[in-house]
Amino acid sequence: MRKRGRKKRKPVPIPVASMGDIAFLLIIFFMLLSDFAKDRDLPIELPRSQEVQKTKATVAARVAIDENATVYLDGERVGGAKDVEWGVRALLARTVTDDQRHVQFKCDSKLSREKFEPVLKAIAEAGGVIEAVGEQP
Amino acid sequence: MPRHRQKQEKKHRESEIPVGSFSDIAFLLIIYFMVATTLVKVKSITADLPTGQKQPQAQLDKTPTVNLRGSEVYFNDNKLTLDELNKRLDALDLSDKPGDKRVVMLESSDETPYELYFKTLAAISANGGVVALVEEEAKK
Repeated sequence: MRKRGRKKRKPVPIPVASMGDIAFLLIIFFMLLSDFAKDRDLPIELPRSQEVQKTKATVAARVAIDENATVYLDGERVGGAKDVEWGVRALLARTVTDDQRHVQFKCDSKLSREKFEPVLKAIAEAGGVIEAVGEQP
Repeated sequence: MPRHRQKQEKKHRESEIPVGSFSDIAFLLIIYFMVATTLVKVKSITADLPTGQKQPQAQLDKTPTVNLRGSEVYFNDNKLTLDELNKRLDALDLSDKPGDKRVVMLESSDETPYELYFKTLAAISANGGVVALVEEEAKK
């Protein structure tokens, strides 16, 4: 007859030697895939529409116009439509297909046409395909 | 001290880089990235705005035209709501037509708000149209 509790189990060592490697691989993964949003904090109230869909295309540039009609290209304040045109043109210079020419466009819903249309035209002139950002109601 | 003994002692010294805390640092960095990263789900409409020269008047007359005057919407000079515009564009079956027949002219007045402009762009794009912006003639 065996006595209970006498048998001592040997401590099983958990292999942790490769944990650091895995962790650094994960860090590299996050660092490569992270795309920091440059225009998140701009005062922009987006327009609403039923037709908006989740953006599938990767955007080559981000253009935004805030409620004060200040124009931003990739988060940097620019002078106006002409600067947007040259900036987008430069960013799209190395692109080959239409899929690479998507330009995200954010604009405050209350702005009037005279403020935003020159920028829209500038993006089109530079060869960009406009991804106009909105929200679902 | 004899020289050969000194050499032996040197051999015994092993230098090790302390890597025990590497995984801790790494996981701290991972947690930082995971907390600081916000996955932005952007929703948008794709508006294809071709660039080009003005078309001849005869061809312009045939092209469907959406006119935004302030907060009012006109389609081929008929006033309607956005829902009605959607139905009218749907009836045109633009998505089945070749490239140049899919063009819808979009004309707007200076005071048109972006909200209405965006909804109109969305309606045209959703129905397979290609938006052509109409520029005002330069004032003489």
